[in-house]
Amino acid sequence: MSTSTATLAANPGATAASGAGASRALMIGVAGLVLTAVGFFISHDSHAVALSYLVGISFCTAIAIGMLLLVLIHHIFDASWSVVLRRQFEHGFAAFPWLGLLFLPLLIGSWMGTHDLVWPWMNLNYDMHGTTVGEDILYQKKSGFLNLGMLTGATVAFFLSWVWLGARLRKASFTQDQDGDIKWTSMNRVTAALGIPMTAISLSFAAIYWIKSLEYHWFSTMYGVWFFANCIRGALCCGVLIMVWLYRRGDFKGILNPNHFHSIGQLMLAFTVFWAYVTFSQYFLIWNANVPEETFWYNLRELNHDGSTNQWWYVGLVILFGHFFIPFFALLSYRFKITHHIITKIACWILAVILIDLCYNILPALKDEHGDSLPFLSMNLVWVLSSVVGVGGVCLWAYLRSLPTTKIIPIRDPRIVECLTHHE
Amino acid sequence: MSTAGTTSADPTMAAQNYGLIAAFDTAPALYHAAEQVRDAGFRRWDCITPFPVHGLDKAMGLKRSIVPRISLAGGITGFCTGMSMIWWTGAYDYKLMVGGKPLFSPMFAFPVSYELTILFTAFATIGGMLVLNGLPMHYHPVLKHDQIRRGMDDRFFIVIEARDDRFDAAKTRALLEAAGGLDIKELEA
Repeated sequence: MSTSTATLAANPGATAASGAGASRALMIGVAGLVLTAVGFFISHDSHAVALSYLVGISFCTAIAIGMLLLVLIHHIFDASWSVVLRRQFEHGFAAFPWLGLLFLPLLIGSWMGTHDLVWPWMNLNYDMHGTTVGEDILYQKKSGFLNLGMLTGATVAFFLSWVWLGARLRKASFTQDQDGDIKWTSMNRVTAALGIPMTAISLSFAAIYWIKSLEYHWFSTMYGVWFFANCIRGALCCGVLIMVWLYRRGDFKGILNPNHFHSIGQLMLAFTVFWAYVTFSQYFLIWNANVPEETFWYNLRELNHDGSTNQWWYVGLVILFGHFFIPFFALLSYRFKITHHIITKIACWILAVILIDLCYNILPALKDEHGDSLPFLSMNLVWVLSSVVGVGGVCLWAYLRSLPTTKIIPIRDPRIVECLTHHE
Repeated sequence: MSTAGTTSADPTMAAQNYGLIAAFDTAPALYHAAEQVRDAGFRRWDCITPFPVHGLDKAMGLKRSIVPRISLAGGITGFCTGMSMIWWTGAYDYKLMVGGKPLFSPMFAFPVSYELTILFTAFATIGGMLVLNGLPMHYHPVLKHDQIRRGMDDRFFIVIEARDDRFDAAKTRALLEAAGGLDIKELEA
């Protein structure tokens, strides 16, 4: 998603219709999906390609969930500065049905064959430390939660709830453009009160089912919060890219002032700290307690069975510095937050590191014959990137297709004047 | 009630003169007057308004506050204090092994350092704000002005201090008059 948005942002001559951009995004997206599919069928390790695709679709879904949460939070707090940005996020919701559709291959693959295309625990005969998943007491105790039907049902329910919330928010906001009725604002506030707990629960369970369950022996109460932090950070970065792109294109000239960029930059800084807080807490508690049931998850990401350091240890350092220290110090600066080309670079940087963070959480589930994690630098990165381009291209197409169907800003929102005159 | 006999011609009063105060009836009038005072190059002056007037800092030519830098310095000090305190107590002054962990690790020093980062940042921010604003301040010459209470209600004021290099009793008064200032008065120090 980030790649394609950045490409468009660099092109100030883009037409107002967005039609050409939309079809280009769709073509790029389909090309990415086709490449991933080809990889899936020619690769000797279809499990690796499936997990790479899980990285790609989790990345795009995380950003869409982040947009949903930011709009819900906007409504519950009756916020004013973000009214203009909210409309763009509403267009982003157009991606939810497509994300649900693009998730289907993983579910279908899980129902077929030995069921362990993505999640090893679905295959009860899967070898697990000398025993099988089916005979593993830890699996048996969790089997009421970890089973094919539950994961399928939950995933469908999550996407339905996100599609429903997104459609409801869109309808109210878009109709208000026509009739200016205040009841739509009140309706959105009710949707927000309902939608925030709904989304909090669904995204936490999505993170647990899709990502954490890849190592079902492991447990961490921080996992949903970690995913939430990445969702919001991704959405804020995409928000910045959209703001800069529409500003350069001319649509947002006279609408956005430096204070809008300052405000979203402040949120980016806040959620950088929040991400670091939860991620460090997860690591620190496990490091401090030092019990094997938990430490093995990090050991897989640091050491091989012979004690040598593996690639994931370095990836961990990239995440520590790239996901926290660099964005943190960059975003402390007022000038960096309001200077378009600098905040664009910071946003692209954070999006790239979110993708690495998801790789770090998903890909070490791929193991060699010694039980060591397969290295980070491998063919899998190609499938990760083709999946991101594929799913992201489709999401971008959905966004660009929705963009010209409404006014560029919600002109009859009761807070629109406050937003246009946003000040510190 | 006006204080009789305060004229700019009186040399003994001029020695104790704090500056000139001019009143304005509306926020836009104050705003545009502030732009003129700014463009005239004054540095020691201020606006008094009953409520925050957005954009006034620009009209006054004020730069962004340096409080954030003081906050950052406080934060870095706090972080280093936390790290070195945990190292000094546990790994240097009285070596103590806890739970099979190393004598010092940034891991377990982090929560303390992080809390001290926040604490020292907060102290530096509040302290820096107070110092830069010259607070606490128990007396200010404008408090003697009989109209000043309206500055908390329905009137706007510009005060130009006599300490300013560009201050000239007659010319500055003319500037304030030209900018639309009403009831221009001298303030006693």
